[in-house]
Formats: sequence, C-alpha cells, structure tokens
Amino acid sequence: MIPAQRDIGSLLLGDLAERLPGAVRELSRSCGECYLRVEPERLKELARFLKEQQAWQFAFLANISPVDWLTRAPRFEVVYHLRSLVFNYRLGLKVDVPDQSLSLPSLTGVWRAADWLEREAYDLFGVRFSGHPDLRRIMMPEDWQGHPYRRDFPLAGRAAE
Amino acid sequence: MGLIDDRFEKNFATDAVDTVLNLGRAYSLWPVAYGLACCAIEMIHTMTARWDLARFGAEVFRPSPRQADVMIVAGTVTHKMAPILRRLYDQMPEPKFVIAMGGCATAGGPFRTYSVVQGVDTIVPVDIYVEGCPPRPENLIRAFILLQERVKQMTIAKSPRVPAPPIRIEA
Amino acid sequence: MEPATADTALGYAPLLLTVLIATGVGAVTLLLGIFVRPSKPNPVKALAYECGNLPIGDARLPMRTRFYLFAMLLVIFDVEVVFLLPWAVNFVSLGLFGFVEMMIFLGVLLLGYGYLWRNGGLQWD
Repeated sequence: MIPAQRDIGSLLLGDLAERLPGAVRELSRSCGECYLRVEPERLKELARFLKEQQAWQFAFLANISPVDWLTRAPRFEVVYHLRSLVFNYRLGLKVDVPDQSLSLPSLTGVWRAADWLEREAYDLFGVRFSGHPDLRRIMMPEDWQGHPYRRDFPLAGRAAE
Repeated sequence: MGLIDDRFEKNFATDAVDTVLNLGRAYSLWPVAYGLACCAIEMIHTMTARWDLARFGAEVFRPSPRQADVMIVAGTVTHKMAPILRRLYDQMPEPKFVIAMGGCATAGGPFRTYSVVQGVDTIVPVDIYVEGCPPRPENLIRAFILLQERVKQMTIAKSPRVPAPPIRIEA
Repeated sequence: MEPATADTALGYAPLLLTVLIATGVGAVTLLLGIFVRPSKPNPVKALAYECGNLPIGDARLPMRTRFYLFAMLLVIFDVEVVFLLPWAVNFVSLGLFGFVEMMIFLGVLLLGYGYLWRNGGLQWD
C-alpha cells in the first residue's frame, strides 16, 4: 500500500537515515506540507536520490524559492518544492546558503527545470549556483544592477531614492 | 528635410499642399498594434463595432512600425520593454505621434516599483496623455480627434518644427 | 463606339484603360510620396524589423536546392488541375470523346508521376 502524504515525513527521514546518513538535519511540518532541512554539500546527492528512488520518484521540480531573512544568519535560504507525480507527494527541501560564497550546487544535472528556476533565483536574489551552464539574468534587463527581491533593495528602484 | 519638406518659405503653394496633405494624414492615422497591458483591451474595444474608431479614419492597425503613424502606448512599460518600445518608435516613418494611454504609460500608474518606467515620456516624446485606468474608449477616440486637429496644423514650409506641448485628456 | 466583336481588339479597350488607371494611381501616389514626405533617416530605422528586438544574423540564408525541385513538381501537377477544371465544367457537352481524351492526358501524367516516384524524386534526402 502506498503511504499517504501526511506520513511521508517520518518515512523519508527513516529511509534517508539509512541510505544517506547526515544529509538531512531536521524535519519540519507546516500546513500539511513537510520540509527537510538539507546540508548544502549533500544537496545534489540527496536530490538525485529523491528523484531516482523507486519508492519516492520526485520527478518534478515545481519551484525554487529563495528567502531573504535579512537579519538572520545565514541570511539566505533556498526552498526547493518537489512533487512526486506517481505517488502525489509534495516535499520541500530547505537549504541554508553559506554567507561567504552565496552559492549552492546547481541541480540542473538532476532536473532540467532547475535551469530557468535557478536563473530566476540568481536574478532576483543574487544567490549563485555553481555548475549552472548559463547563469544569466532571466527577468530583469541584462544591464540591471542589483537584485530587486532582496529585502534591502528599495521598492521603487534605485532611481527613486 | 525631404525633397520639398522644410525647404521653402511659407507661400500659397505650400499652403495648398498643406491643405491636401494634412487632410490625408489626419484622416488616415494608422496606429501600431502595440498593446502592453490591460489598456490594450480598451484599445481593442475602441476598434470594435460599438465605438468604431474607423469612423475617424484610424482603423488600420499595423503590425509593423514601418507603415504606422501613431503609437498608442497602451499599458505598463517595464524597463525590460523600454528599449524595444524606443526601437519601434525609431523605426516608424515621419511624421509620427505618440498617445500615452492610461495611468501606467502616463506616469507609471500604481506601479511605483523598480521594474516599471515612470511615464513613457522618459523614452519617447508624447503628444497626448489619456487619463484613466484604463481610459474609456470615448477618451481614446477624443485623443484621436485632438491629434487630427494637431495634424491639420502641420506645414511642409520652413518652420522651427518645435514640438507642440502635450495635450492631457482627463478621465 | 461601335459594338465590340470577338475578333476585334477593341473589345479589350476597357481592360487596357483599367490597367493604365491602376498603374497611374500607384505611380503618382508613390512619386508624390517621394516629394512631399519628410526624410529623417537614422540607423535604427535601417535595421531589420524583428518586433523591436535586435536582429540576430542575416535573413538571407542559403536554401536547399531541393525546394526548387519540389516547387517545379508542384507547378507541373498544379497545371494539370487547370486543364481538368474546364473539362469538368463541360463534361456533358464534351461527351465520351472528351472523357477519353482526358484519360489519355491523365495517363501520360500518371506515367510521369510513376517515373518520378521510382527515381526517388519525392525523397527529401
């Protein structure tokens, strides 16, 4: 029998503790979703595992949304929203972005969808993705200065200051 | 300056040519089909049978700027779109006119943000501002009528060619 | 004007007049445009129109010669229809003779078609 969405948190945690020990720091739940806090160095390995494992098959990367906490350290956090189309699971991966490098490993090798999503995250938040084939701006003009979705970016733009 | 344009002092011949030419220009204003946001829907409505802009000779929306006289900037101009808008304006043949339709094109509208151009007059010279969010089709028609009045004042005689101050149509 | 008959060229006079007027109107408006229009060239105006984007590369690309062969084949089998249509309209009055005549014509064409097919004229590569 296929486990229900509400049970996958603890099941995943058990599975990962066995196969990829140390990759996941903690599990949190919110509004019926479950989130894994992932070590940045183990992100790629974990992503490939979640995608290719027969029991999970998170084949669909729905969104990459960075969060700017501004006063917290580390300042940036990136949330990867995954879907398993076969089992109808939803899962979030939360990764802290190291403050010194502001860089995470790129997941373009795992999900093709990560290409544009990572470009968007880079464009709007300035989070870099090492190993991305073509990390250019995607929303803003190419000659744009700064990253507009950061909390310290003036809302009306630099010109309005 | 053309072969005749802007070469002769004002005389009876230029007056006669002006009369004919301006009549032709005023009643065959061809707009560029350039809708950027929700104002474009009102622009389309202006063309439909109910308001029928064709009554005023401006029914031929051109998909290419090469064949157009008027650019109706209908909607929000983002910074990413701005160079494209300017290029299209530059590619329009003379004489050309710009109608800034609605609050966004006029002054950025409600979008006082980093991504929106605060008024299209920072990129291209605007002849007529139409207020409203979006403006009613009647107001766009009024813009065309006022533009026609302006076109009828044009001359091919030697003149300073100072752009006339823009007209503002209140909502 | 005397009534035009089928064997005098005068019957085509209105057609000639139409051609003259059509050409004249076009030529006069274009020439008038050259004289009265203002001329303000700029480099952006000379660019190719790509919906406001900067054009990438040249539009004059080399085309495969294969396209010309296909175009010629199209013309050949298109003209066939031009012959078929009047025959179809007058099918009854032409009778059996017309039918046989047309079948011979179509047969010849069909032979050509078969020859073309066998020699690989319809292959893309």
